[in-house]
Amino acid sequence: MPELMHRKLERSATGFMLAIIAAASVGGIVEIAPLFTIDDTVETVSDMRLYTPLELAGRDIYVREGCYACHSQMIRTLRDEVERYGPYSLAVESKYDHPMLWGSKRTGPDLARIGGKYSDFWHVAHLNNPRDVVPESNMPSYRWLGTNPLKLADLPLALRAQRAVGVPYTDEMIENAARDAYGQAVPDSEQSSGVTERYGEATQVSAFDGVTTNVTEMDALVAYLQVLGQLTRAAYENTAAPEQMPDPDN
Amino acid sequence: MGQLTTGERDFGAIILIVLAIIGIAMAAAGRSDVLGIHGAMVLVYCLALLFLLLSGAFGTPPSAARLTRYYDDPIKVGVGLTLFWAIFGMFIGVWAAAQLAWPSLNFDTSWASFGRIRPAHTSGVIFGFGGNALITTSFHVVQRTSRARLADQLSPWFVLLGFNLFCLIAISGYFLGVTQSKEYAEAEWYADIWLVIVWVTYFVLYVRTLARRKEPHIYVANWYYMAFIIVVAILHIVNNLAVPLSFAHAKSYTIWAGVQDSMVQWWYGHNAVAFFLTAGFLAMLYYYLPKRAERPIFSYRLSILSFWGITFFYMWAGSHHLHYTALPHWVQNLGMTFSVMLLVPSWASAGNALLTLNGAWHKVRDDATLRFMMMAAFFYGLSTFEGSFMAIRPVNALSHYTDWTVGHVHAGALGWVAMITFGSLYTLVPAIWKRERMHSAILVEVHFWLALAGTLIYVFAMWNSGIIQGLMWRTYSPDNTLVYSFVDTLLAMYPYYIARAFGGLLFLIGAIVAAYNIWMTVRTPAAATLALDDDSPGDERQISGATPTPAE
Amino acid sequence: MALTHETLLEGAKLWGLFYLMGFSICVLIYTFLPSNRERFERAEREIFDEDDGPWK
Ligand code: HEC
Ligand code: HEM
Ligand code: HEM
Repeated sequence: MPELMHRKLERSATGFMLAIIAAASVGGIVEIAPLFTIDDTVETVSDMRLYTPLELAGRDIYVREGCYACHSQMIRTLRDEVERYGPYSLAVESKYDHPMLWGSKRTGPDLARIGGKYSDFWHVAHLNNPRDVVPESNMPSYRWLGTNPLKLADLPLALRAQRAVGVPYTDEMIENAARDAYGQAVPDSEQSSGVTERYGEATQVSAFDGVTTNVTEMDALVAYLQVLGQLTRAAYENTAAPEQMPDPDN
Repeated sequence: MGQLTTGERDFGAIILIVLAIIGIAMAAAGRSDVLGIHGAMVLVYCLALLFLLLSGAFGTPPSAARLTRYYDDPIKVGVGLTLFWAIFGMFIGVWAAAQLAWPSLNFDTSWASFGRIRPAHTSGVIFGFGGNALITTSFHVVQRTSRARLADQLSPWFVLLGFNLFCLIAISGYFLGVTQSKEYAEAEWYADIWLVIVWVTYFVLYVRTLARRKEPHIYVANWYYMAFIIVVAILHIVNNLAVPLSFAHAKSYTIWAGVQDSMVQWWYGHNAVAFFLTAGFLAMLYYYLPKRAERPIFSYRLSILSFWGITFFYMWAGSHHLHYTALPHWVQNLGMTFSVMLLVPSWASAGNALLTLNGAWHKVRDDATLRFMMMAAFFYGLSTFEGSFMAIRPVNALSHYTDWTVGHVHAGALGWVAMITFGSLYTLVPAIWKRERMHSAILVEVHFWLALAGTLIYVFAMWNSGIIQGLMWRTYSPDNTLVYSFVDTLLAMYPYYIARAFGGLLFLIGAIVAAYNIWMTVRTPAAATLALDDDSPGDERQISGATPTPAE
Repeated sequence: MALTHETLLEGAKLWGLFYLMGFSICVLIYTFLPSNRERFERAEREIFDEDDGPWK
């Protein structure tokens, strides 16, 4: 009798457990599963390019420093946002973003279209001490970026891991990752031509931090900031008016 | 650990040695990478525990009489850890708040800059403080409501100390710049894997203990703890799927990209709120509130209905974090609809709690502990109402990205999560240590008013700043141009940032008062009761050794 | 038939709705089933029994 009783007790605990899983799993499945076929309906963008190794390294620094805690990268479909920051963000624009950095808090302005807005020089000055440029700012200063050398040796691994999660880097890109990063930050070096060859003519090759003798974390971060919103022209060509969704059904 | 049998001690030692070896392997593989530092930390942590474990090994073996009592040792240590993380996490919160008002307070160091300490704050309070409180109280509640001793003596320690190892690795990582950047899931892949192991053990322990229960029916508080354990496991695994650079690198990339990642992240994020910050704490409410008020819950059936409502509806609501973004429109609308529906079970829970107190208002007036729980139920009602309101698209157009969200978060976090926890601790501590009451009722009273004042200042400051900033961002002049630059709107925030830091400071002081009061309660033995407890000789020494002092 | 976005979407929405309704009905039945009444009333008061020790 106690044996039987005991089994019944255990059964009810298991049944209860399954009920919780059953209740809790539907919502996620219904909302998330259809997002994986969304590519069927979203227009394909032919000019979408990949992050160069230097830009990817910059993105990792953006993550490391927690810039996303104060900056969003998602312009909503609202008129005032479009007028303040530029065309609203499209899904394709973060197609290769692992992880996405849309953010949830704007202590500072949105950065989705910051690329090209300021000179490299401005960014370097601003990151070294924001209050030199904008006296009212409460953004932290990031002086150490200009002196930390960038770890070039890890870049092939980074690109390979990106490919493993679905970003179409080629073998050639992975092999040359460290050279390309160097070449992008040191214009007129023998490595720089390879960057535009592999990632497209629009790629910016520049001495981002103003120094060409070595590649620093500042180079990488500024290269990343300058490419935000520049990977594709799709958003600028999209004519749908704000405050109205691109297509209500997908 | 005084009650561990020789077999349990040996098994524990084996686990620690294996872990220590893994630590050495991580240190060797990672070297200068943060993974290496974390390997060294794992090693030190395991060796310290091994020392504690073995130093008690040669005492008298525990008598069988221990099995006729509940197993409360891990709970005692858990209380200490909860208080430690509370003070740590809130201190970082006050620091972060102060940095927004005075940016030079990071002293130009990388590890202390805002972007790094913010996740240290959120993880410190949610996982360190909240998680330890949940594990600790769940061990207490499941034993008392099932009338069963915890299923064994080793796994509670494994869960508690393993979870704290996770917190330690995760939070030290943020200071060192290791993060996945996913809010509330910032810890990197190796910490995530470890948490899965700990969590599965927790689950198994909980179910085994429930299986020993006396009554066929499982008391509703356990339902909430179970939902908390199961759903957090699902969320954690799905959101943290990632590919590391190599086994020697701390850095990894999530397998999700762009829109899908945003939905997975906020499906996780919102349900971390639901099952970490709500379900588990509702479990505390359903046990400690009736206990303290000495009145049964107003309606048991209502508590069942709201349980299933919350479990079911919450999972759909995550997309309200993504209104007006590139997420497909229909998902946003679905999230909005379910968020509004969610108000029904939420208010049913809050109402159930408040109606339980109906007829005991004189107790609420005289007993600050009960008042903590009453206020918690009130703030739970408030923040869920606010949440459902903010989930409506046009409202969210204003509130999103602003401090209004932060205000909502802390109405829930300070008013609900922290207050119900302190109310429960003030009920739990005397019960576990067999004291008649807390050391000082006046200090509980002082804490209550500090906490309430702190919460109100914080929340009102953020409501103001959030709504002002949201409105300024969208103010147009008559000739249809935006009136305010971003920096104009930032300048308007400073007074509120200062007020918030002040409110937070009050709340932090309250937590320190609580830690002192609890420490004194534990330290001053209640005349006779303790001396009788002589079946576990190591017991007393263990308590004073393992419970961190407030100063730590 | 290939799994297109449209069919998946329709399926998810429809299935989700039915699931929601079915689930609510089950919960309501469980809560108000007369034979459960006694259990619930017992559970409500059980936490006040004071015997500070496990039952077996
Ligand atoms: C404490 C929050 C905070 C953090 C963390 C932060 N920022 Fe900022 N950021 C701001 C604020 C506030 C402004 C607006 C004032 C200014 O320009 O300094 C700003 C402005 C900027 C701008 C200029 C935007 C424009 O349109 O004028 C850039 C670029 C920027 N930040 C980049 C970064 C990067 C890169 C990081 C991480 C390394 C970072 N920020 C971290 C708060 C922050
Ligand atoms: C001493 C009291 C506290 C202070 C001063 C404080 C301060 C802060 C600050 C300054 C932020 C960053 C806000 C921003 O980025 O603008 C924050 C965020 C946050 N805090 Fe606290 N906090 C406190 C207590 C707590 C507690 C007890 C919890 C949870 C139980 C909590 C949970 C959170 C969460 C979840 C966020 C992230 C909010 C978001 O992303 O919108 N906080 N807190
Ligand atoms: C019915 C219940 C609730 C609903 C519908 C709800 C809804 C919302 C909404 C709409 C947001 C803003 C999202 C955005 O604009 O970015 C939000 C944010 C948040 N809420 Fe709630 N909320 C509820 C209850 C709670 C409770 C009880 C807590 C407990 C602490 C809580 C914690 C949070 C947190 C931490 C965030 C910030 C997320 C982030 O951006 O980092 N919520 N909630």
